[in-house]
Amino acid sequence: MNEGLTREPAAISLRGAAVRRRQFTLGPLTLDIPSGMVTAIVGPNGSGKSTLFRMLLQMEPYEEGEAKLLGARVGPGGDDAAKARIGFVAELPHAYEGGLTAEEKARFAAAWYPTWSWDRYRKLMRKFEAEGNTKLRKLSKGMRRKVELAIAMAHDPELLLLDEPSSGLDPFAWKTMLEELHRYMESGDRTLVLATHITEEVRRLADYVLFLHRGRSLGMYEKDQLFDAWRVFAIQTATGLDLAKLQAIPGVQGAAEAGPGIYRLETDRADETEEYCLAQGYKLLSAQRMEMEEILACLVRKEEAGR
Amino acid sequence: MWIPIQIDENRPEPLYHQIEVQLRGLILGGQLAEGTLLPSIREFASHLRCSAITVRRVYQDLENEGLLRTRQGTGTFVAGVDAAARAGHRLERVVEAFERAVETGLQLQCTLEEMEQILQDVYARRTTATKGDSP
Repeated sequence: MNEGLTREPAAISLRGAAVRRRQFTLGPLTLDIPSGMVTAIVGPNGSGKSTLFRMLLQMEPYEEGEAKLLGARVGPGGDDAAKARIGFVAELPHAYEGGLTAEEKARFAAAWYPTWSWDRYRKLMRKFEAEGNTKLRKLSKGMRRKVELAIAMAHDPELLLLDEPSSGLDPFAWKTMLEELHRYMESGDRTLVLATHITEEVRRLADYVLFLHRGRSLGMYEKDQLFDAWRVFAIQTATGLDLAKLQAIPGVQGAAEAGPGIYRLETDRADETEEYCLAQGYKLLSAQRMEMEEILACLVRKEEAGR
Repeated sequence: MWIPIQIDENRPEPLYHQIEVQLRGLILGGQLAEGTLLPSIREFASHLRCSAITVRRVYQDLENEGLLRTRQGTGTFVAGVDAAARAGHRLERVVEAFERAVETGLQLQCTLEEMEQILQDVYARRTTATKGDSP
């Protein structure tokens, strides 16, 4: 559980929620995604990001535990009104909508969402320079993405769920999307959850990062604290160290000999590792931040070792 | 408004600390005058490419120190700073820069005498250069 990590009330709350299929199990997951914040769900392909979204949107029934969205229980006996307060862009566009234009799809959305604003829709379409009167199936991947984003945001949902939102977007459209998402978050009472494996997107948008791997959570972290804490050190010793000694250094998550008497240490408690190394008389040659992929690889390695 | 804050990702200090020290410096140094409206938490976070949690923490810390004021619904403003506080904090940034220099010196096994010599040389060179430039 990550209680105490956040002060915000939960926009999404999972308590032992699990989806069990023959090929794949998601969960059981117990976590809270805070409201008013941006949470990035990061994980390799097949880690369960899309299944998690589908479960939250009642497109995939879950067998165990409990899932709550904006305070309402997801699933039978739950409150369907909560769905009108959510915006969603799926990983892949729905084939059955291919024959509609953006305007036609927007008309359906306008009828369904009480908070729909045509003004907001048109502004977003203009910002994205998106095509309103062409059949969706004739649009390029990126253009269709922009249309889907504009429609998902036009009712100013309390909770916005985006599954790989930037796939297919060119760098200009990507930048526009980031601006619009920042604007969406500005009021402070909106919540954004996005699945992504683009590091730069996480860096620029996220407040929290949730790592998923093989359907299990590898932990939820405050983004800046995560990047503050994880470092890779190069240390040098006159005497030489064996693997056991390296792994006994506080915080060390991965260690390897990089050259004669030089070692590369990956740590998730940079300050403790540094203090210990200096106290032992090891020379600190360099200290660098780690990339998100390196941190994820470390967490995955640890999880696999514990299985 | 755009606030000149530079984050050095490879410094060991946590992000929030770097931002807090520099913002405090800008307020105490008078670059940000009393009454200046600071960016919203989300806007500042997106400029600095850090999380909203970090900016909120910095604003709260500086508010507790009396350097910032938050008015519900309007935003966060620079508060009035008395002259004594200004004088007390003037050297803070300088001390930090010296600490980094000494750290590098120690890594390369410089002695105190060597470092003092470097300081005197640099100081002499800089002050002569300035004198030469001025009319």
